[in-house]
Formats: sequence, structure tokens, C-alpha cells
Amino acid sequence: MSSSRDLILGRVRDALAALPKRAPLPEWDPAGARSTVAPSGADLWQAFSARLRAVNGTPLASVAELVALLESKGWRHGYCDPTLWPALKAAFPAGFTVETEFDRSRVDDYQFGITVADGAIAETGTLVLSDRGTASRLAALAPWVHVAAIRHAQIVPDLGSALTLLGDDPNVIWVTGPSKTADVEGILIEGVHGPGMQVALLLD
Amino acid sequence: MASDRLLPRADRRVMLMATCLCDAFYADAARATVEVLEHLGCVVEFPEGQTCCGQPAFNGGDWPASRQVVRHTVKTFAGDLPVIIPSGSCAAMLTHGAPLEFENEPDLGEVRELGRRTWELADFIVNGLGVKTWPGRFDSRIAFHRSCHCRGSETGPAAFALLSSIAGATVVPFGEADQCCGFGGTFAVSFPHVSTAMGTLKLEHIRASSPDVLVSVDMSCLMHMGGLAEKAGQPIRTLHVAQILRDALRNGNLL
Amino acid sequence: MARQPIDQFVERIASEKRASVYLGTKTTHEKREKLLHDHYADPDALRRLAGGIKQHVVENLDTYLPRVEAKLKANGAQVHWAATAEEACATVHGIMTARGATKIVKAKTMVSEEIGLAEYLGSRGIESLETDLGEFIVQIDHDHPSHIVRPIIHKSRREIAKSFEREGLGDYNDDPGTITRRARAFLRKKFLQADVGITGANFVSAESGRLVIVTNEGNSRFSLAATKCHIALIGIEKVVPRDRDLGLFLNLLARSATAQQLTVYTEFISGPKSPAQPDGPEEMHVIFVDNQRTEVLASECREILRCIRCGACMNVCPVYRQASGHAYRSVYPGPVGAVLSPLLAGERFAEKADLPKASSLCGACNEVCPVDIPIPDLLLRLRDKGKREHAPLASAGTPSLGGWAVMASKPVLWKTALSAGKLMNLLPANWIPMAAAKAWTDTRTLPTWRGGEFRSWMKHRPAKGEGKGKS
Repeated sequence: MSSSRDLILGRVRDALAALPKRAPLPEWDPAGARSTVAPSGADLWQAFSARLRAVNGTPLASVAELVALLESKGWRHGYCDPTLWPALKAAFPAGFTVETEFDRSRVDDYQFGITVADGAIAETGTLVLSDRGTASRLAALAPWVHVAAIRHAQIVPDLGSALTLLGDDPNVIWVTGPSKTADVEGILIEGVHGPGMQVALLLD
Repeated sequence: MASDRLLPRADRRVMLMATCLCDAFYADAARATVEVLEHLGCVVEFPEGQTCCGQPAFNGGDWPASRQVVRHTVKTFAGDLPVIIPSGSCAAMLTHGAPLEFENEPDLGEVRELGRRTWELADFIVNGLGVKTWPGRFDSRIAFHRSCHCRGSETGPAAFALLSSIAGATVVPFGEADQCCGFGGTFAVSFPHVSTAMGTLKLEHIRASSPDVLVSVDMSCLMHMGGLAEKAGQPIRTLHVAQILRDALRNGNLL
Repeated sequence: MARQPIDQFVERIASEKRASVYLGTKTTHEKREKLLHDHYADPDALRRLAGGIKQHVVENLDTYLPRVEAKLKANGAQVHWAATAEEACATVHGIMTARGATKIVKAKTMVSEEIGLAEYLGSRGIESLETDLGEFIVQIDHDHPSHIVRPIIHKSRREIAKSFEREGLGDYNDDPGTITRRARAFLRKKFLQADVGITGANFVSAESGRLVIVTNEGNSRFSLAATKCHIALIGIEKVVPRDRDLGLFLNLLARSATAQQLTVYTEFISGPKSPAQPDGPEEMHVIFVDNQRTEVLASECREILRCIRCGACMNVCPVYRQASGHAYRSVYPGPVGAVLSPLLAGERFAEKADLPKASSLCGACNEVCPVDIPIPDLLLRLRDKGKREHAPLASAGTPSLGGWAVMASKPVLWKTALSAGKLMNLLPANWIPMAAAKAWTDTRTLPTWRGGEFRSWMKHRPAKGEGKGKS
């Protein structure tokens, strides 16, 4: 309602009119917010993997490792982004059912979902998902295991750099490990509404 | 910065604000303050018209009453001498609280001026007079309670440094040392259950480190914790930092 | 002398509840301290910087709000303005009605609690289901959250297990993992059946018009993957100037709130879903909520609008630890709530005028605040306001200090009272705070009265050079 808008903005203006001067915007160097665990070396995948493990995420350097992990848990029914599947298909033996279209009416059929990430942040072990790059939001979220596929060149060192890459995508999600809660007596439980296992799969 | 506040050696005249608590209950803490300052070469003036810094009413929300008392204090301590106070909370009242409640008052300038030359005692010794270590002897396990109004000031580190430097003294750490003891001015009587719970918890932590004496720059905290301990049948010895410093000098035959 | 409600609450609180709250807050606080100091050489400098940026925003909302609105609209979101709680609820209802929608899944937003959204919608046949595990449990118990980040910090697993059994979510089982998995299964269906997802926003960037939402559970993501319409309720103070400033706030927020480097999910939402995306909202509504915030802006406590709702203040507050959030009778408890809740009450300030008194002014809250809000100063201002407006809850339990003020501004009276020993014999009865004296001596002894001793010593001691008392 434009009248509420005008009312509120009018009140804001009136409230601030009495101030003799307005507090200026402090300038600051993004390097100042870099933590001591931001990477110092050139191997961003190593740095990223270490931080991902620190939040109980699972960095994997090959599809073969992914398949071995899934098989070891008996997770053989999942989803994969159709643009990615041709490259991964060969590594998946018979016995796996991998759909390339996510059917939300059977959401609990999928034990894993493999989607394409836009990038990663080494400082925090974070995967960056975008709306345009994620073939199905539910596929990246609902299955117990989410596998986000990334390439070396996509890994940035820290939060500050990642913020410059948001672009104009309507829904960028920074994913830092598996979903969790500590609501019940402060006890950490993984796998709440989102995945209980968060995998980062290095493609190159 | 601490080093910017160093007083020139030549001028050591100071005024003492003894605090209303020392005036009423803790005469020896005030005496010790005078003896310590004189030992350091200060000439201590005691304006007899002094009463209270105005904090009880300020904290209690009665700013007009508080301002009335602050105005009297400003008059009593007129001049340009440093005002030394054996209390972190009274010092904070004059440096921060009073300017806050005088924000819209015409005499804000005078109130600020007094605040600028106000010092808590330990801060004055270390940063005003440049004395970093203390002579003499005091054989004791000391639990040092850094009172809340010292937050953001140099007092805590100053008192800790002085106490730690005394021969024979061991300053013992204890759990949750940053948590408030529960005095809080009128809070102690307006919220007696909360205040008592906070103080009792604090005493548990302190006792767990087996100190011989509980020490602070604020008698208010010691009055509260000491009073709780005594009422509960487990009295604990309490002393103001000034008393420790004075007694250390006596024990070392320096006073 | 009437008693302070929060003190009475503390007297009555079940020791199990107090113990839960104490352990929960202390643990998080200590982890937060360690993490900030492990990760940064000077965390206090970052807090002050963040405080400076937020203060700038607060003092320039007249510029920032129109800018944010324009950006959001350009991104494809519809922007609404709600001056009151009622209007915010009505706006949500209007959107639901226009869509013929009856089912909402809600991620955690304190603003929705503030405006009483669930009750408003419930009485109009609309289900608004909490999806944050803690808030879900609060909802099924018809309870209130007691902490803005850890809503069920006061509940034990046994209580939760009983509630789940009562709600038909399975036989009694108090294993936290089982409880969580049951909630996952139950709420998953609800997400997929819902029409609309409601969230809040932790920040809104004025540069890009992006909402930033941080969660750990994935409930906000699920709402925005499963439903076709997104409604975001946002207080007008949540703006940050630039995307780059988010680097500072995001680094501080999770560390301050839950002692994490980052929450598991940080969502940057600038509009409805992209055209090719099968999942998610086709429609996005942002409702900017005033609900007395402009009054706070006009007051001398506007610094409280910097708050980024991390909860660090209540984790360190010794009063909160003894009392728990319910003692504050408000959506926002603890130190931030003691300032914000009375102010958000507007004309009903008097009903909350005791909250600013429930503090020893220790200052621990300011020391942990990621935006450096001078909370003790604001509490003091509100105490002054409570007294000036003669709010009974402000003066409950507080001795009248008028008599003291007279004595303390007349040295002759003061010195006479000191020397006379027993104050009580000398002063008019209404100058002696009897109730206050009793409140002290119930649990504490009083020290020996030594009025006049020091002054006498000072006056009569042998001259030490020039050091003698000056009258």
C-alpha cells in the first residue's frame, strides 16, 4: 500500500531529521575479515578439503571414490544432473539406478543427488550453488547424500572473493557441510531437513 | 593510551574521593588509600564536603536525584587536581555515567571536565604515576575479582599487575571470572533472588581455587559477596586492593 | 514495596530449566570466545567496525530503504510496507487469499512472532507450520521460544519425547537423533504439500537487493524449493550498504550466534526462481515491517536497531542465565530484549518497564555484541524513561532515593548521619528504605557501621608534610 510506504518513510525521515550529522560509512579492507584459517598456499583444493572435513563434509577427488562410498553404504538409487551424467556414467556399475529427472512425488526414493556447483570457498569448506546451475533445487537438497561437482578453477580462497562472484543469479546458496541442528539439549545431529552427508566431488 | 596519561613527576597533589561506602563502612580501605598515595609521594587533599558520586540514583533510574548529587560533587572537587577514587565503579560513574545523564544539561561541560581528571586508584598508580611493580611482602593466595565497571578501562590489568608483583602473593585464577558478582547497585535489593544466585555462584567458583583472601578495587562487590558468605556461615576474608598494597609495605617495613 | 516480576520468576523457576539454560548459554559463549580469538587477531576491532557500518545504516535509512526497494523490484520481487503488526499479518493474508492458498511452511523469523502471525492466520483457516526443529517443538507445545537462536534451550529431551508421542509422531523415544529423524520425515511431507514459504532475512543488501538468510537445518531451502510463492518478512533495519559488507557480517554472525565459522546454509536470494528451474517460487514478496521501529529510530536508543539477532548477549548475560528467556515475557528476551521489547511495546511501554531494570549493568553484553551496541547505556536511558513516565514496574522493588539525594547534597546532613551511627534513629521514616534493607539482609549480613571513622582519622592524624585533611 503506497500510503503505508509513505507513512513509514515519512516517519524515518522525521526520526532522522533531528540528528546534527549522520554517521559516515566506514571504509574497510576485505582482507581485514580474512580469518587465520584462510588458505595461504596455492593448492586451494587441499585447503578447501581440510575446511570441509572440519565441518564433517566429504571431499572426494574422483568419481571412483564416490561410487565406492555409495556402494559401501548400499546407496544405489539416486539422481544426477543430466548435463553431468554422460561424464560420470561410465564409473557407475550395474546395480545403480540413476535418474536424470527428479520426481518430487518420489522424493524419498533418491538416496543421493548429484548436482553441479558453481564454485567453492577454501576458507570455509563451502560449496557454491546457483539457481541457474542447479538443475533441480530439490535434488540438491532432499536426498540424504548431496554430491556437488566442482572444478579446480572454481575454488576461490575466501568469503570476500566469493562475494564478488554472486552475479545476478536469483538464488545463490553457500553450502558448508551437512545439514544439522543442536536444538535438542545442544546435542549435534546431522541430517535434518537437508542432506546428512555433503560431498564435494572434484571433476578435474 | 596508558602512556599518554602519565603525570609529570613534579606535580603530585591529588584529591581523594573516599566513596560513600568507605565513608560508612570501610574506613580502613580509605585509610590504606591515603597511606599508599603518600608513600608514592602524593600530597592528598580530602575535601570534607564530599558525599557520594551519584551512582545509586543514576543506576536506579532517578536521574534528577542523581544529578543533584553529581552537581554537589562537581562543586566539592572543583579545581584542576586529579581526583583519585578507590573504586572502579565510582570512577566509571564520573567518567562515563555522569556525562550520559547530563547530556541535555547546561553544565555538561563541567561534569565532563571533572571526569577527565578522575582516576581509579590502581589505574592511577600504574598509568598515572608509572609504578608497575609493588614492593614489600604479602604472603597469600589472592582471588582478584575484576569488578564489572572496570570493563573497558585500564584498572583490571593495573590491579592485576600490582598484585602479581608482590613478593609472596599468588593471584589464583578461578572459573567464569568475567561474570558479574550480582551487586549492581539497587539491583541487589530490587532483584534479590537474582543477585543472590549470581553471588552464590561466584563464591563457588572463587572457593574452588582456595584463596586466602578475596580482593577487588570495589568494596561494593566485596560487601555483597562477603555478606553472602557470612550469612551462609562460610565467611570469606575480603580486602580492598589498597589494603593489600598498604599491608605489603608494612610487612616490608616500608611504612 | 511491590516486587520485580523477573526476580519472582527466578525465585520460582524449576532448577532443571535453569540448569538447561545455564549449560546451553555458557557452552555456546565459551565456544564463541575461543573461535573468535582463534580465527582473528583482533575480534573487537571487527565488532566495532561492524557497529560503525550498522550505525551508519540506521542513521541513513531514509536513503537506504528506497534504494533497497528499487533493487528488489528490479529483481522481480514485489515489495510491501507494513506500518503495524496487524498490517503485516493482513498483507500475508492478502497474498494467501489472492492465491487461494491455505498452507504455509515457515522458516525461523522472529518478526513473525512479533506480529503474532500464526494466531492471526490460524483464526482465518490458514495453517502456518514452523519448520525449524526448535520452533516446531515450541509450536506443538503451545509454548514460547526462550532464546532467539536456541528456542528450546529450556527443554529436556524427555519433554520433547513426550510431546512427540502426544502428537502421534511415534512412541516415546528421547534419543535426539530419533527425534530429529521423525521431525524430518513429518515436515518433509508438509514442505511438499505447502503453498507458500515464509522466511525472514538476516540482511538485505542495498547494493544488489539480495536477501541473505542463514540456517543450519535446511528448512528455509526446502521452503524455497518445494513451494511456489515466497514471502519474506523483514524489519526495516536489516539493510546493509554493500555486498562486500556481508563479508564482515557473515564472519561475525555465525561465530557470535552458534560458534560456527559459517552456518551450514547461507542463501542469497534476489528474486523468484529462474525460468528453467523446476523447483521454487514463481512469486516473491518482501514485506518491510515497521511495528514501532521508526519510534525506536526517533528515540535515544536507536543504536539497538544495529542488532543482527545473534543471541550472544543472552548467552553471556548472568541475569538471563538465572532467569531464562520466558522471564522477559517478550519475543526478544535477554539484554537486547530488555531494550527492544519495551520500545516495541510503543504506548504500552509501561507494561515492559521492568525489563531494563533486570540488569546489574555488568556490560558483558556489549563486550560480545558483534555490532558493539552500548546496551548498558541504553538500559540506563530506559530506566530514566520509566521513572519519568511513572511506570510502576520501573519503580517496583526500588528504594526511593529522594531522601538520599537531599542528604548527599548537604554535607552537614551527611556527616551528621555518618557520625550518628544508627541512620534509622535520625531520619524520617520514609527516607529509610526498610524493604530494601530487608531484601539485603535476607541473604547477606551488613558490614559494621564505621561512619565518621575515616574522616576523623584524616582530620586528626599528625601532619605528614602537607598531607592533611582540608576542610
